[in-house]
Amino acid sequence: MKQILAAVVMAGGLAAAAGWVIAAPDPLPASALKAHTANIENGKRLYTAAGCLSCHLPAKDNKQADMSLPSGGRVLKTPAGAFYPPNITPDTETGIGGWTDIQFINAVKRGISPDGRHYLPAFPYTSYSKMSDADVLDIKAYLDTLKPVEAENRAAELPLGLPVETPMRRGLGIWKIAAGFDPVEFVRDASKDDVWNKGAYLVQGPGHCAECHTPRDWAMAMDTSRWMAGGPHPEGDGKVPSLRDLKSRGRFKDAGDLATALEFGETLGYDKMSSGGMAAVQTNMSKLPAEDRTAIATYLMSLQ
Amino acid sequence: MFFRLVSSSRTAIIGAVAVIGVTGAAFAGPIEDRQANMKNVGKAMGALAAIAKKEAPFDAAVVNTNATTLAENVKEAKAHFPDGSETGDKETWAKAEIWQNKADFDTKADKSVDAAMKMAAVTDEADFGAALGALGATCKACHEDYRRPKQ
Repeated sequence: MKQILAAVVMAGGLAAAAGWVIAAPDPLPASALKAHTANIENGKRLYTAAGCLSCHLPAKDNKQADMSLPSGGRVLKTPAGAFYPPNITPDTETGIGGWTDIQFINAVKRGISPDGRHYLPAFPYTSYSKMSDADVLDIKAYLDTLKPVEAENRAAELPLGLPVETPMRRGLGIWKIAAGFDPVEFVRDASKDDVWNKGAYLVQGPGHCAECHTPRDWAMAMDTSRWMAGGPHPEGDGKVPSLRDLKSRGRFKDAGDLATALEFGETLGYDKMSSGGMAAVQTNMSKLPAEDRTAIATYLMSLQ
Repeated sequence: MFFRLVSSSRTAIIGAVAVIGVTGAAFAGPIEDRQANMKNVGKAMGALAAIAKKEAPFDAAVVNTNATTLAENVKEAKAHFPDGSETGDKETWAKAEIWQNKADFDTKADKSVDAAMKMAAVTDEADFGAALGALGATCKACHEDYRRPKQ
């Protein structure tokens, strides 16, 4: 009896140890990066397309804060907890000043912090992993031009008072496996034209549209078999519309109509462009070059 | 006598019909009322947007009519968010935040009414675009904070 018990304890211990190892972060080495000359203008464009500021905003009641800078702190309430996106201005103490290129790439595309911890997937690295290294480094170059803001980061609050750090955070490594997180860059569809491919890249990568518009499965991973089919809102209030069959459902006449909707939103009476966080998304879309909106609309109108 | 009886019955019937009519309207409830208002707002906005999208010609009279309808309906809708109408038999897309920040909600609605009144006064096509932009921004500001996303 004692032997069985010992065996069970040992097996449990081994499983836990194995889990601990499997759950370890798997960052890219610096040698994986190719030489890159940063394009700040492109970085600003992708920073806008990725909606960085929309989440990394200062808290609403922070009266001193400059709302145009991503110094973080605005609460993001989800059923999985309350998250406070951190300061991504180039402040060396509280922001991301002094980060190396590979640290930034691992953060954005693999969800791993410079000190080797998993980021909570409220940060949509699951989509950003589709971006090219060049685009991500351009975003970093743009961020480095912003005014550094000293703003301390605030820890997330999980349900039932669960601790955010060890072992919960390490456990995210298990989640990454269960959710099938595979940091693979966007692959062009050769059967489609350049405009469609550009739109698909912007939507799937920086735009991270699927994070809300694709329903999630048992593992809280995006259910790709129901790609962009809509579902409950991740913040728990209301429903996210499907982006499939937009034309046959009478939502938009054509890609031009949707591009206009993305540019003007309610200003031209497109009344479903404001709720559930879409107002911030539409504001970002309005700032993109027109050809990006056309590409995004072309890809979205093709979804069936 | 007979005629008086008939006539008083008629009065009673008319009275009863009137009462039913009134309670009928009351039965509709604030959720239905404000949704009807918002439907009118949407239609009016659609007519204005059609001009901006060059699907319809600029016509100051059409602009005035629709902008006035819009202003009146937003003003009316504002009165259809009494305490206790957070939820009801009919599905509502109003967020609980409306009743938590009633003063801000009312201010935002008033801004929309003001912008619509300014639009109603537009007679020159050159002023139309800016007026529509300002009006649309007030719709967006309120929906962003106070309307749940719809399927």
